[in-house]
Amino acid sequence: MTAAVVATGARALPARRKRLAPSALLASAACVGVIAVMGAPLALSFLASIKTPADASAIPPHYLPQALSADNYFKVIGYEAGLATYVANSGLVALMTIVACIALAAPAGYGLARFDMRGKEVAFLLLLAPIMIPYQALLTPLYLDFAKVGLVNTRVGLAIVHTILQLPFSIYLMRNSFEAIPREIEEAAMLDGCSSLSRLIHIFLPLALPAIVTVALFAFINSWNEFLAALIFMNRESSFTVPILLVSVQIGHHGAVDWGALQASIMIAILPCLAVYLALQRYYISGLLSGGVK
Amino acid sequence: MFTRKTWAVLAAALIGSTALSGVASADTATMWVRASGTNAAAHLVDLWNATHPDKIELTTIPDNQMVTKLATGVQAREVPDLVSFDLIYMPDFMKAGFLVDLTADLKADPNYASVAQAYKDIATYEGKIYGAGFTPDVSILVWNKDLFKKAGLDPEKPPRTIGEIHEDAKKVRALGGDVYGFYFSGACPGCNIFTSSPMMVAAGSKILPANGNDDALTGEGVKDVLEAFKAMWNEGLIPKNAQADNGANFTSEFMTGKIGVQGTGGFLLSELKKNAPNLDFGVTFLPGAKEGQASSFVGGDVVAIPAGSKHLDLAKKFIAWELTDEAQLEGLAKNNILPSRPALADNKYFAADPRVVTTAKALGIGYVPWVYHFADMVNSDSSPWINMFQRAIFDGDVDGAIAEARQKMKEIAGE
Repeated sequence: MTAAVVATGARALPARRKRLAPSALLASAACVGVIAVMGAPLALSFLASIKTPADASAIPPHYLPQALSADNYFKVIGYEAGLATYVANSGLVALMTIVACIALAAPAGYGLARFDMRGKEVAFLLLLAPIMIPYQALLTPLYLDFAKVGLVNTRVGLAIVHTILQLPFSIYLMRNSFEAIPREIEEAAMLDGCSSLSRLIHIFLPLALPAIVTVALFAFINSWNEFLAALIFMNRESSFTVPILLVSVQIGHHGAVDWGALQASIMIAILPCLAVYLALQRYYISGLLSGGVK
Repeated sequence: MFTRKTWAVLAAALIGSTALSGVASADTATMWVRASGTNAAAHLVDLWNATHPDKIELTTIPDNQMVTKLATGVQAREVPDLVSFDLIYMPDFMKAGFLVDLTADLKADPNYASVAQAYKDIATYEGKIYGAGFTPDVSILVWNKDLFKKAGLDPEKPPRTIGEIHEDAKKVRALGGDVYGFYFSGACPGCNIFTSSPMMVAAGSKILPANGNDDALTGEGVKDVLEAFKAMWNEGLIPKNAQADNGANFTSEFMTGKIGVQGTGGFLLSELKKNAPNLDFGVTFLPGAKEGQASSFVGGDVVAIPAGSKHLDLAKKFIAWELTDEAQLEGLAKNNILPSRPALADNKYFAADPRVVTTAKALGIGYVPWVYHFADMVNSDSSPWINMFQRAIFDGDVDGAIAEARQKMKEIAGE
C-alpha cells in the first residue's frame, strides 16, 4: 500500500520527484515501522498457534515453531459444544445487535438533529447516560429483570443487552452525522412534498451511509468481543458465545494457561472482525473523506 | 442480500433461542462445571449419557466466574440441576443455603461410606450432607529423573524433607544454563495453598483459622518452608520469572524438562504423558521438615444440587451413580483420574503406573481446610496468604510476613 502511495505521488508531481524522494522514503520507512509494530503481536500469535502444545508452553519461548502442529486448532474447534456453535451464537447475537442499533439509533439521531422540541438536550444527555456508568454495575439488576420475563439464556436477550450497551454511542454518531447534512437538501425535499418519514428514508439515510456503516461496524465488533454479559446471561454450553470459549479453552488447573490453545483461539476469533472490517472499509473511508471536503 | 433460506434459518434460530428459555425437556438435566474440571467431568457425563436414557448436559464455566455465576443464578432462580465446583467453596455455599440437603440419600448409600474423609468433611454443615466427591485432585511432589541423573543424584531417590529439596535443587542448578533446581508460582495464591501449604502442615503447622478466635499459621512449619524457599531464591536455584508467575506457568515450567523439583497436582500426570511423553519423572508425597513427615492438599471438585433444581430426582440419581464402582473405575480411573473412593486406588488401570498409585494414596494423607472466606484469606490476588509468600521470599522478611498474615487472616475469619 505504501509503495502505491509513493508511486502515485511521484507520477502526479514528476518535476519534484527527486526532491521528494528522501522524505517519501522516510515516510515509507515510518509506515513499515508502524506496520511492523502493529503486526508483530499478530505474527507472534500465529507462529505460537502452529507450535505443538508443549513447544508453545516452552520457557523461555522460541519465536519460531520447532515443529508444525495443528493440535491447538483441533482443540479449539472440538472444544465442548464445538466451535461452530459458539460462532453461530456470536454471529446471530451480533447481527441482531446491528439491526437493533441501526433501527433505533437512526430515528433517534434524526429526531435529535432535525426537530425542535422542549428538553431535547436533556433527552440527549439521558440517552448518553448509560456510557457514564460502568456497565458491569448494570448487569446483575438487568439479569434479575430478564429472568422474570424469560429473556435469560436467549440470544434475543443477549442482543438486547448488547444493544443497550452500544446505543448511546450509536445515537451520538447518527445525530452528529445528520446534523452535518445541509438544510438546503432537506428543504428541497420538503418543497417536493416529502413527509418527515420519507425524508429520513430517501434523503438522510442514503447521505449518512458512512455513519450507518460505522454504527454497524462498532456494534459488530463490540458484540462479538463482549464477554461478561454473555457469561452472565447465558446458562448453557449450547448458547455460549466465542469470548466464553476463548476464556474456557485456555484455563488449566490453578490458573495455568494453555498458551497454544489461547493463541489458536485468538487467531480464529480475529478472522470475522477482520472480514467485516475489510468488507465495510470502502464505505468507512469514503465517509471520512467526504467529511474532509466539507 | 439475504435469500429466503437465510431468513428461514434466522427465524428458526430466533424461535429456537426463545424456546430454550422455557422449561427444558423432561429427561435432560443441566450441569455446570468449572473449566479446569471439565476434562474429568466430561468423562463421567459421557459415560452416563452412553448408558442411560435420561441425559446430562454439561456447561463449562470459567473457573474464576463460577462463584459469581452460581450466586446470581440462585438469586434469579436460574440454576442448573447439578453443579461441580472447587470443593473449597463448600462451606460458604452451604452456609448461604444455596444447596439441596442430600443427607438422607447419601447416608443410605453404601458407596458414600467409602468416599475419602476429606470430601465428607468439607461437604458437611451442621450435621447435614450437601454434596459428594466428584473429580478429585491432590497435590504431590514431582522430580525430573534425567536431571537428577546428570547432576549425580540417585534418580530413584526423591527428596524426603524440605532440606533435601534444597540440597537436590542446588546440585541440579549446578548443571548450569537454563536448568533450575526448583520451581513454584510465586504470585499464585491457589498454587501455593495446593503445593506449599502441605509441606508446612507436614512439618506440624496449621494454616487457616476457622473463626476469629482461632489461631492462624501456627507452629514452625510455615517458617521452615518460607526460609527454605527464600534461601533457594537467593541462591538463584529458582527461575526469575517465578516471582511474577500468577499461575499461568504453573504446569508449563516443569513440562520444559528444565526444572529439578516442583510441587504440583495429580492432573500433571496425564498432561505430561500427553504433551511431554519423553520426560522421565517421579512422583512422591510433599515432605515436611523431618523424614517421615508428609502431607497433601485434597482439591478438585465436589458435586452438589443447587436449590431450585428442576430435575431433582435425576440429579440425585446421577450423584448416586457417580459413586458406583462402574463410574469410579470406567469413568475416572480408566482416564488417569483419581477415584473419590480411595479403596478403589488399587485397580487394573493404575497398576501399570506406580506414579498414579502414589498420587491416589496421597488422597488418604491429605488435608482440606474447612473455613469460610477462603477466597479472601487465600485465593484473591491480594490475599494475606500470597502477600506472605511475596514478602517473605522475595523481600526477605520472613518473620514480619508471617506476623502480618496471621493478623489479617484472623480479621477476615472473624467477619
